Amino acid sequence: MDKTVVEKINAANNAAARSKGNRMPTQPIKLYYLPPSPPCRSVMMTARALGIDLELVLTNIMEGQHKTPEYIKMNPQHTIPTMDDNGFILWESRAIMSYFVNAYGRDDSLYPRNPRQRALVDQRLNFDLGTLYKRYMDLYVPMLFKGEAYNDEAAEKLNEALDWLNIMLGGRAFVAGDNLTIADISIVVTLSNLEAFGFDYSAHENVVKWFERTKKTLEPYGYAEIDQGGAHILASFLKKE
Amino acid sequence: MPVDLYYVPGSAPCRAVLLTARALNLNLNLKLVDLHHGEHLKPEYLKINPQHTVPTLVDDGYPIYESRAIITYLVNKYGKGSALYPEDPKARALVDQRLYFDIGTLYQRFGDYFYPQIFGGAPADKDKLAKVEDALKLLDTFLEGQKYVAGANLTVADLSIVAGVSSFEASDIDFKKYANVKRWYETVKSTAPGYQEANEKGLDAFKALVNSLLKK
Repeated sequence: MDKTVVEKINAANNAAARSKGNRMPTQPIKLYYLPPSPPCRSVMMTARALGIDLELVLTNIMEGQHKTPEYIKMNPQHTIPTMDDNGFILWESRAIMSYFVNAYGRDDSLYPRNPRQRALVDQRLNFDLGTLYKRYMDLYVPMLFKGEAYNDEAAEKLNEALDWLNIMLGGRAFVAGDNLTIADISIVVTLSNLEAFGFDYSAHENVVKWFERTKKTLEPYGYAEIDQGGAHILASFLKKE
Repeated sequence: MPVDLYYVPGSAPCRAVLLTARALNLNLNLKLVDLHHGEHLKPEYLKINPQHTVPTLVDDGYPIYESRAIITYLVNKYGKGSALYPEDPKARALVDQRLYFDIGTLYQRFGDYFYPQIFGGAPADKDKLAKVEDALKLLDTFLEGQKYVAGANLTVADLSIVAGVSSFEASDIDFKKYANVKRWYETVKSTAPGYQEANEKGLDAFKALVNSLLKK
């Protein structure tokens, strides 16, 4: 992925937002990231959607760049993505996305302020981290990084989570209502991975339709280069039989 | 306007909700869910929560599940301006990061280690225990030089994490060997409003459950 291109687009978005009189960070927000990392992709697309200028700092976790003394001092949990907003350090992608909207959103559509609507987004974000993305990792991390075989029991648990997602999408255009929110941006990266890996989720019809709808909605925010591109890098790690 | 909570006393996520409601002086109609007889799998429950978990909050007919979404909702709705979940974006972000650390790392690793033992009769897994210890070390680091997990004030992050960490007492995990964690635990026990009623009571129920399961 071309860092310079993304930065130029971000700068243009940021200038446009500034011209409308919005508060924006004084310096670009640093994002420690790696292109294939799903939670990094979510944060990057959210920044694009909000016109937030990011300074991307490549952090190759496969070469231990997240375990240097400097990195651990900044983030003792040594994870990516990690954000540095003019000295304010934050990690956990879903906390970063929430912060972006809370601090810099032109409006609250990506993360509604109304308590009930917000609770729905928060429930989806917790479902994502605690259930959907967890079960995706339980199936694919051993395959991607330890060369292990496809585990049917883990696949069944992932399908169960997709079934729940399918139910949540019943009667809704997006996961938390009529509009795109950070819950969609968080969850879509897992579907992008599943698509790139050839996992069959076609039985979950609401999920299939929502995925296509969300891809289109995220197109102007770098879906193809950030998310799809990142997913394809990950797919290349899968053991080829 | 009734606020119903579907819960079981032993469940740590349910206790996090009880602690938060108590801290907000909010009355909840407590509805015990008979998990043993599959009450959570019945159509009426699936209607409010298709994932059939506890806790589920139903606020004047509006259902919410996932404990950490419930507790932030309760402050957003009934505790505007409360330090429990500050409005300032940076302060709030820190609380959020601790909550995601809880669900994605700390409480998750505890569950991964302990629940297969008590619910599945599996032997203790040393690698999984090591992961719990790593998470406790991180919590200890987060608490360095600060009274509560997200700063100087008690927040819903403390309430969520204490409900989970107190459950460790039912296991062989010695979380009190981490000095900051031990200090924080004693602090929260004495400063979280209604801690005895909201957490300790349910924790006793959890310990009793664990004892009966491990005896089999």
